[in-house]
Amino acid sequence: MNLAYMPKKSKVDNLSLPEKSMINVKGLVKDFGKNRVIDGIDATVSAGEVVVLIGASGSGKSTFLRCLNGLETLTAGEILIDSVPLESKSSSLKRIRRQVGMVFQQFNLFPHLTVLENVIEAPVHVLNQKKDFAVKTARELLTKVGLLDKQNCYPGTLSGGQGQRVAIARALAMHPKIMLFDEPTSALDPELVGEVLTVMKQLAEDGMTMVVVTHEMGFAKEVADRVIFIDEGRIVEEGSPIQIFSNPQEKRTQTFLGRLSH
Amino acid sequence: MNLDFSIIPKYLPFLLQGAGLTIELAVLGIAFGILLGLVAALMKISHTPLRYIAHFYIWLIRGTPLLVQLFLIYFGLPQLGITLSAFASSVIGLGINSGAYLAEVFRGGIEAIPEGQTEASLSLGMGKFLTMRRIIFPQALRISIPSLGNQFIITLKDSSLCSVITMSDLLQTSQRFASRTFASLEFYTAAAVLYLLMTTVISALLRSLEWRLSREIRTRGN
Ligand SMILES: Nc1ncnc2c1ncn2[C@@H]1O[C@H](COP(=O)(O)OP(=O)(O)OP(=O)(O)O)[C@@H](O)[C@H]1O
Ligand SMILES: [Mg+2]
Repeated sequence: MNLAYMPKKSKVDNLSLPEKSMINVKGLVKDFGKNRVIDGIDATVSAGEVVVLIGASGSGKSTFLRCLNGLETLTAGEILIDSVPLESKSSSLKRIRRQVGMVFQQFNLFPHLTVLENVIEAPVHVLNQKKDFAVKTARELLTKVGLLDKQNCYPGTLSGGQGQRVAIARALAMHPKIMLFDEPTSALDPELVGEVLTVMKQLAEDGMTMVVVTHEMGFAKEVADRVIFIDEGRIVEEGSPIQIFSNPQEKRTQTFLGRLSH
Repeated sequence: MNLDFSIIPKYLPFLLQGAGLTIELAVLGIAFGILLGLVAALMKISHTPLRYIAHFYIWLIRGTPLLVQLFLIYFGLPQLGITLSAFASSVIGLGINSGAYLAEVFRGGIEAIPEGQTEASLSLGMGKFLTMRRIIFPQALRISIPSLGNQFIITLKDSSLCSVITMSDLLQTSQRFASRTFASLEFYTAAAVLYLLMTTVISALLRSLEWRLSREIRTRGN
């Protein structure tokens, strides 16, 4: 299998700077009752890096992402976001969450608000931005995801691909330092996957630090700096896309990838 | 048969005045009930001991007749040194009563909103209170409107019980003239028609409100 791997972008600015760690996870453990779902994960994500998480259903990918922005409480371990420890105090959580955007499989747009209102909701009510200013920023973001013409629509009238692009714009409106994506295209009809991946690719090229759970191997190969394979709440193997996809070292990685390609 | 509805028009202004008081009681009662219901619903879904207070309130009120509650407030409380006017007793009684039912309505509405809404809101840096106020409650309210309207109609009809604690509402006014003129059938029929008129108008208003508020949600995809 020849993957024709091309270095996706020249990270000149990143290379000239010392690698800055955006996410630092040490000894992360998460239990749900007696069920250990994350079993000791250590990981570092540098500024501007795009990391793709892969793994079987139930391996703990979503739980790991949700730990990163404090949607789950940690059983043990430590998470630093841009060198600031994530604590369970609500003021600390709110501060961290402002810097970590999250995009969900089901979009979770607010159905009672228009597209524009969805995007300005948090800037206005969390960052206390003036409405005019927030609207201006929101329109720029909607233009970027190609949905300015939908600004006054309600989410219920959008296609899945449009909805997910609005969700991305909504997260970006908070000017996060990090974006987390949990299977952003899994709920979409196949013909709508591309438009969302295009937006994500653009974001990666703009230098956003991203952690992406996805089964879109094409995206991983093209955009990821690093692929991490998780199984039973542990990192089994990580490396560049070409390493993981063409030359996986671990038996479990091989089995997983073998199943995927069928 | 000696039915003579021609007696009614002469007394109609008084009946309408009584109906005015009925509406006033119902509106103030339901407003108070919405407030109580909301607080009780939030207490009930909170994972704090407050929820037991809400449980107790709902259990107590739903398990006893409104008339007994009104008697306790109006005739019973003075014994504890708390003397309330008949009007205040009525509004409080109707409020406490409807609040217990509305607590369940609001709780159901709030719980019907998918968890993902809360998560999306939290992950945008919005706090729990802001999330409830801006994201969850507006959606829960839209879901609750049919039941809320239903409760309003029930409270309007229930307000007739306040006639027993001396309120000159539509029922009491009708009763007074009925016993004075011996035209019971005529006056109680008139009262029934006026109640029906009020509840029908309220239903229609609510339907249009519901339609307007749910416009966007009705078209929700997936
Ligand atoms: N809130 C919860 N309460 C209890 N168990 C949970 C909870 N959330 C997740 N789990 C369990 O944790 C395990 C890992 O779940 P998680 O959603 O992280 O897996 P995943 O890798 O994202 O899987 P998928 O590919 O299906 O999304 C599963 O066994 C799941 O049942
Ligand atoms: Mg998942």
